[in-house]
Amino acid sequence: MKSFFRMSYPYLLWIALFIVAPMIMILLYAVTRSGNGTITFSFTLENFSRFLSDPTFLRVLWTSLRIALLTTVFCILIGYPAALFIANLPERRQTLMILLLTLPMWINMLLKTYAWRGILMNFELESEIKVFIGMVYDFLPYMIIQIHTAIAKLDRNLLVAAYDLGANRWKTFLKVTLPLSVPGIISGITLVFLPAVSSFVIPKLLGGGNYVLIGNLIETYFLVAGDWNFGSAISLIMALIIIGSMYLTKKLDRSAGEE
Amino acid sequence: MKKTLLVMLALCLALLPAMGLTEGFDPKEFEGTTLNVYNWGEYVDMDVIRSFEKEYGVRVNYKTYESNEYLWLQMQSGDAWDVIVPSDYMIERLIAANMLQPLDKSIVTNLDQLAEGVRNQGYDPDNTYSVPYFWQTMGIVYDTTKIPEEEMEAQGWEAYQNASYAGHAYFYDSSRDAFMIAEKTLGYSANTTDEAQINEAYEWLRKMNATLQPSYVTDEVIDSMAEGLKWMAVVYSGDAAYILGENEDMAYCVPHQGTNIAVDAMVIPANAKNPKLANVFIKYMLDYDASKANSIEVGYASANAQVLAELSGPGGEYEGNAAYVPRAGYEKDEVYVDLPADWQARQPDLWAKVMAE
Repeated sequence: MKSFFRMSYPYLLWIALFIVAPMIMILLYAVTRSGNGTITFSFTLENFSRFLSDPTFLRVLWTSLRIALLTTVFCILIGYPAALFIANLPERRQTLMILLLTLPMWINMLLKTYAWRGILMNFELESEIKVFIGMVYDFLPYMIIQIHTAIAKLDRNLLVAAYDLGANRWKTFLKVTLPLSVPGIISGITLVFLPAVSSFVIPKLLGGGNYVLIGNLIETYFLVAGDWNFGSAISLIMALIIIGSMYLTKKLDRSAGEE
Repeated sequence: MKKTLLVMLALCLALLPAMGLTEGFDPKEFEGTTLNVYNWGEYVDMDVIRSFEKEYGVRVNYKTYESNEYLWLQMQSGDAWDVIVPSDYMIERLIAANMLQPLDKSIVTNLDQLAEGVRNQGYDPDNTYSVPYFWQTMGIVYDTTKIPEEEMEAQGWEAYQNASYAGHAYFYDSSRDAFMIAEKTLGYSANTTDEAQINEAYEWLRKMNATLQPSYVTDEVIDSMAEGLKWMAVVYSGDAAYILGENEDMAYCVPHQGTNIAVDAMVIPANAKNPKLANVFIKYMLDYDASKANSIEVGYASANAQVLAELSGPGGEYEGNAAYVPRAGYEKDEVYVDLPADWQARQPDLWAKVMAE
């Protein structure tokens, strides 16, 4: 057992170097102010108050959350029936369908987004709708695969038992299949909502240049304004929101499991 | 053995005249070395780079960036390149920060080929550190089937407050240029640091954003305007020259309120690893052949006087193209000077808010 633990050292080192250390740096930058070219370590919360007191920034945050939420909801609405359909196919067809589904994921996300740009260019649509289409397209496979895995794991005997006890197909779905696939939906939400809320390439390319999300703001403050302190504060606020929503989904997962 | 000696002797003989002709360096001394070049995106004819590699037996590691500010941030984190191509005001900042090294004028012997409009500019009065590469003005490319020429020329930058173009405009996503446009329209200097004037410019930009709902773009504006997707766009003259060449409905207006004249010039960072070859490269790029190939490929105005005259003259690649040669000698036009440190962060901050509204 002990020797197995030792094997995790490289992994721990990796985490410390590339996850923990950067997070600490972001935290440090976020709570300090920069002097003339050098960082003076004077503690401040003004980076946070600057963000939270500015209606423009708050609106950007709200838009980001809204579009991520909408993307997630639509991914579930489209993804659940699709997953159900696939799970009811014969075994070999299922493998093929999942392969077809993952196929576009092998293509670079940037290329796919550029392709959408070309397609959507011909339509007069609100930029928010264009961004939304691109996001749903990009994240849908994650949702379908998670839900499909949950449904495929389901014990068929339970369905047979439900029919035996007189439940019709609809009732069986509501009382058996749906509750048992909740863990799949929840890991789907984690995989869709979290990247969606911080995505910035899709809004940049599909939003036609007048659609700013929180990821774009962070990019601007780091790369254009050179204001790493403020950029870090925004990143930290984002991180807190993400950790908060992860906590919530975990809780949902647990209460669903208890039922 | 004898054969090898003979070959070597022949080689030496062949090299002699070459060594006699070139001053300051031996063309064979760089063989096998690498030159790190960091330039703007879509800003070179790659064949020129390849022939430089062949001629000196070197490898050019060619990378590109999108903004002066990004380049500056990377320089600050200690990245080392041999040749970079920042704009005027960034060169000024780099010189002030002791981050550049002077050119070796015994190698860069062709400075007399520089065009009048780019020689000895304020940011580097004797071209001690920099050799201009391309230069440009900022202006408006517009679709003459949608906006008549007289109408656009009369408005200039005011077109960006005209509600009848709502939804049909591109705007360049660059805080420095955005503030220049607002300040010029209001009759101020593009280099102002006056609080009241900058606030007024900020309000002008906010109003523009509210009235026109422009799309904020960078390089993608080139293809979009060549396809005629919108009525007007803020672009650099070099990109305009390309757009005009692709789409005959397009025209270029250099606003009467004045604009920015920008020079992008080749410099050698202080921490360059191969500075001697960097000097050779700079000379090579300014020479007639490379300058001509690059200017034809990219559409920006060459810093080489002969190339500039030839390409815009009769039979030249850009004959009759109103955007190719930048407007020179107009008193309201300005070259950027480097803003004080607090403004360097303040402008992008205000600009981010304009776009986010």
